[in-house]
Amino acid sequence: MLEVRGLCLTYPNGKQALNNVNLTVRPGELVIVLGGNGSGKTTLLRCLTRTLQPTAGQVSVNNRDLTGLSGEKLRQARMALALISQHASLVRRRSVCANVAAGALGHYSDLLTSLGRLPRPEMEMALGYLAEVGLEHLAGQRAGTLSGGQAQRVAIARALAQRPRALLADEPVASLDPEAAEEIMRLLKRLAKDDNLAVLCVLHQVDLAFGHADRVVGIRAGQVAFDLPREELSRDRIRNLYLSEAA
Amino acid sequence: MTDRLTDRLTAIDNRLRMTVAQAGYKQPGFGGAIQFTILLACIAVIAQSLYVVEARPQDLITGAHGMADIIRRAMPPDFSKFRSEIWPTLETIDIAIFGTVAGVVMALPLAVLAAANVTPARWLYYVARGIIGFTRAVPDLVWALLFVAAVGLGPFPGALALAVHSIGMLGRLFAEVIEQMDMAPVEALSLTGARRMQVFSHSVLPSVIPSLLGITLYRLDENIRSSLVLGFVGAGGIGFQLLTAMNLFQYQEVSLLLIIVFVVVLAAERGSAILRARLS
Repeated sequence: MLEVRGLCLTYPNGKQALNNVNLTVRPGELVIVLGGNGSGKTTLLRCLTRTLQPTAGQVSVNNRDLTGLSGEKLRQARMALALISQHASLVRRRSVCANVAAGALGHYSDLLTSLGRLPRPEMEMALGYLAEVGLEHLAGQRAGTLSGGQAQRVAIARALAQRPRALLADEPVASLDPEAAEEIMRLLKRLAKDDNLAVLCVLHQVDLAFGHADRVVGIRAGQVAFDLPREELSRDRIRNLYLSEAA
Repeated sequence: MTDRLTDRLTAIDNRLRMTVAQAGYKQPGFGGAIQFTILLACIAVIAQSLYVVEARPQDLITGAHGMADIIRRAMPPDFSKFRSEIWPTLETIDIAIFGTVAGVVMALPLAVLAAANVTPARWLYYVARGIIGFTRAVPDLVWALLFVAAVGLGPFPGALALAVHSIGMLGRLFAEVIEQMDMAPVEALSLTGARRMQVFSHSVLPSVIPSLLGITLYRLDENIRSSLVLGFVGAGGIGFQLLTAMNLFQYQEVSLLLIIVFVVVLAAERGSAILRARLS
């Protein structure tokens, strides 16, 4: 379970990027975050992964608070929280399988993995994760040769190799065609259910949110504007979210 | 037909000139005075260099007789000494190989510390940059003189000189490659909880290794050229043979050595170019 309580971020210049954000993502749930440009969606994810240090509030994964951690403790805690970003960020010259297996490196501390070796069990498990995203037949191919949709699925497989409890996705379909985008969203939804993951996904595509989300969270000016089950969400509410953002 | 075409082209040209004139277009560039000043400055720089180097073109003409005499005495090359030149040639190539390999081994960790995007601490960045700058600033010939004084004559001081100079040359280029790499995969792997060394070996290194190998091959090519000259200061190899033959007026041996140098340099250059092309 991913829990965010009273999360605030104020930049040194005084600009408040996040203001008392509260949300919960339960295991098996896909929560989609919507909001205009500059509303604070990506900042929220960066605070959750602690690439930005929140000025107040609490982020916990499976009841372990991440906000006060640093160094080795933060590194260990991060393993429970996987991030998929807009671009797949794969090592282009390595094989698809090696890219996936690299997601599990944090679980190992031996010298050989530090010198560039991938653990054999992880290579075998990587094939399983690739099968989960439907790409096991590309395991030996170089990551640089993949299409955008395939690369994003490999990034999801790498996130699974990390064996996280929560999965964060920052506009994972932004650079994909509609069909590939639909496929990625179906995959995230299935992973949430099958692997019992808490999935929090930032999107710009309202239709995808309506089609796949269990819950939708609207963010406006760094605050949660609404947090509703998909069935209770109206198009008017979404329109208001973007209109007020533009104003 | 040709006349009609010429008329049409002239009309188009006139229209273009009018359009350009109406748009108030001016030829880009400096004003006439500035251009003239720059031209004068360039002439002054060239003139002072001719004065400083005491350039005397007439000496080329008077010296032509001496050059022709040396060439006449150098012909034909003394191929009977070919077997005895194999070892110094091998020594020359091995000086370059040792210098390059040792240079890479020391330059890589320094480059990681000297790359602003991956260095673990700011002070390490400055220390690494300082070492790279110092080893690069001192020419390999000067390093060879120092090492000849320290460890004596022979190929080893030459190899050490190339190694130390290569640290600077390779360190700077390696650091630049690392600084220019795409950091997204590095950040992605860091966020999975991987340790710093794991991130380096599984993300940084695989991304930059083709460029690093290309630079290394280029450096090996450069080092082979340098190792030919290092012999002149007593650091072994074919350069030492060349110096000895010159001092003893053995010009036929000199011409043989120059042929060997030509073949070695050409082979190194082509070999390096082919391997680098394959890597890219």
